[in-house]
Amino acid sequence: MPTEPEDPLEPYYYNHVPEIIGGIDVPSITEEWVENYPSVVDRFFTRYYYIKESPEPAPYQVLFHSNRVCLICLAPEHPAIKDGIKSFTFDIGNTDRSKNTVKGKGKKGGMVLQHDSTLAILTSEQNKAYKIPSCVQSKLVEVNTAWVEAPKQLETAGEGEGYVAIVLPKPEDCENIKRSLLTQAQYKEKWTAIQMNAAQKLANESNVAKTEQKSAQTEQKSAPVEKQNE
Amino acid sequence: MKNQDLVDYLKYCSVCQFCQLRYLKARGNEYQNKQEYFDRVNVDYEEEIDWTGDPANKKKRQNVCPTCLGLFSEEFKEQLLQSIENTDIDKYECDGIVVAISIPIVLQLRQLSMWYALLDKFGDNINLDRAPDVSLKEAIKLILNPTICERLNKSYDISNGLMLTINLSHSEEQEGVSQLEKLNSLVYPRKKGQKSEQISRSLIEKKYTPLRVSSELFKNAFVVPPSIPTESLKFDSVSLIGPSTYVAGRYRKLSRKLSHTPWVLNGERVMDDSIEEIIIRNIAHYFCDDQKKVNFMSSGREDVDVRCLGAGRPFVLEIPNAFRSSLSSALAREMEENIDVSQKVSVRDIQIVKREELIHIKMGEEQKRKCYRALCQIGNIVTVDILKRLDFQNGFEIQQKTPIRVLHRRPLHTRPRTVYSLKPSVCRQNKNLIILDIVTQAGTYIKELVHGEFGRTVPSVASLIGQHIDIIALDVVEIDLDWPPSVCTL
Repeated sequence: MPTEPEDPLEPYYYNHVPEIIGGIDVPSITEEWVENYPSVVDRFFTRYYYIKESPEPAPYQVLFHSNRVCLICLAPEHPAIKDGIKSFTFDIGNTDRSKNTVKGKGKKGGMVLQHDSTLAILTSEQNKAYKIPSCVQSKLVEVNTAWVEAPKQLETAGEGEGYVAIVLPKPEDCENIKRSLLTQAQYKEKWTAIQMNAAQKLANESNVAKTEQKSAQTEQKSAPVEKQNE
Repeated sequence: MKNQDLVDYLKYCSVCQFCQLRYLKARGNEYQNKQEYFDRVNVDYEEEIDWTGDPANKKKRQNVCPTCLGLFSEEFKEQLLQSIENTDIDKYECDGIVVAISIPIVLQLRQLSMWYALLDKFGDNINLDRAPDVSLKEAIKLILNPTICERLNKSYDISNGLMLTINLSHSEEQEGVSQLEKLNSLVYPRKKGQKSEQISRSLIEKKYTPLRVSSELFKNAFVVPPSIPTESLKFDSVSLIGPSTYVAGRYRKLSRKLSHTPWVLNGERVMDDSIEEIIIRNIAHYFCDDQKKVNFMSSGREDVDVRCLGAGRPFVLEIPNAFRSSLSSALAREMEENIDVSQKVSVRDIQIVKREELIHIKMGEEQKRKCYRALCQIGNIVTVDILKRLDFQNGFEIQQKTPIRVLHRRPLHTRPRTVYSLKPSVCRQNKNLIILDIVTQAGTYIKELVHGEFGRTVPSVASLIGQHIDIIALDVVEIDLDWPPSVCTL
């Protein structure tokens, strides 16, 4: 007679031991489970974005903790993620951000950052250099040096895990900073527009190129027609 | 110098018998039996007549003593005891007292004046740097303190007694102090940029002896020998401060919506109650009137959303100015029952502890092992492989950066911490859920240990299994500290 295959998890099942404290039957910890439990980022942070326009548009994400600590990250749509990341450095020429030190509760000695101060420089596989901006006027607390050693891992890092730096704005600056950044909805709209524009431009360029090509071809065939077109 | 000559001179200055004894260097129970001591040091004894009795005798002994301003007179003692008895001293249930009598500066100046007078009279027999008398402070201890203790039927207990603070004043105080200020600016001129020195008792003790200040200068400012005062000392106030009482226990936290201490954000309360407040409001009123002064200490703390189960977390209430220093076990159980009503916190083992034992609380916070149970969730169904990777009977080290959630108010550090053991189980009804029993060194942040906090805690439970894992709930199940001792309830 075939027996049921033994459940390999059987020795591992949790057994709640009843406990009465202060007259209350303490509920099992497993009762705390909820459906659609929000992620760490969803629980404690608000997502903000900053798009650096030049030399070409690149989006960055600011994870604003409820205690005002900010994680500066690449936005998932950052072009370098798609292109692949070749190298990453905190040495931005005049300063090396990885030499940042902070002391005490007040984070004394942390580098002072403006929203457009460069935090780090990353180079894509297409040899495009991106100066990662601080996004937030703040004090530099911590940099994530993991990316210097293993820049490729930044491509697959989960939300938050890919943080480049941790910065701390002054309490009185927070409201202004939040206003100056894009919210999730604003970012979605703006980034879509930018991409549409870029696509449009690309299309135009290729149209122009095509037209030029075409006209070159037509020119070769019959020059007078082209003139008519103009 | 004969003792008789000394006493004769003091009598000539109208100094009372207690002060005469002080100048005879009486340092024990001589003050209780004056005659015996006078006999012993070969001084004629003449009984002082208590002038409060027969008005006919009033003439004979009517002056206030120029060196103690009546501090040791029968009349003063009677007043002192009266005013102590008029306080709410009966409210305090304690066996011991401490007496602190704060005397006016003018009284010290009068001791000095007598010192100069004795120098004039007896010259070399008098030391220039060490006072010729038993100090007032010491004499108070020898004369007044035993009297007070006897009347109140309490012992003198410096470490744990009820503190009686008695403030005295005298009509000549102002004048004496301003004279001394003038003298001080002559004797110790102020250097440029130096702050003017506050006239204080210790200043006189340190800087005023005939060795340091010449007789001429002193006599310019003060009468030598001290004149017969017109008034005696007056009572300003008597205040009582009870000893600090320490009440220990262990609390269990059953709610995931209760902060440790009052949680106030931008001047507004985030949660209406806290462990600290529940415990204080059910215990403190039995020991003191002002609950605001009570200090709540515990062996560490847990987050708002973390329960604390098992035997609970040790804590101590430091209750200053307590009117009780004992607690019956019946009453302790009653307090525990009252706390249970909250349904959020439950306390056991309430007991009075000694101050010296508080060290256990700190030790428990910093050194002891803590056991936790965490409810964790992963994205797919748990496998035996995952469970095996989380089964650690032996410990391992982790490096933990200060968590982001406290980084705004704590310094950034990377701390090594020991995880002593991990033991995983899986929920039968929901195989995405891992229940992890964790034993760690004190000071480990457990939530970050589980999800790894973006790689800021390494290794973490997430890195051990090589995939995302999140923590849904956490319980403290044991704090490895055998203090305070368990109280048996019958």
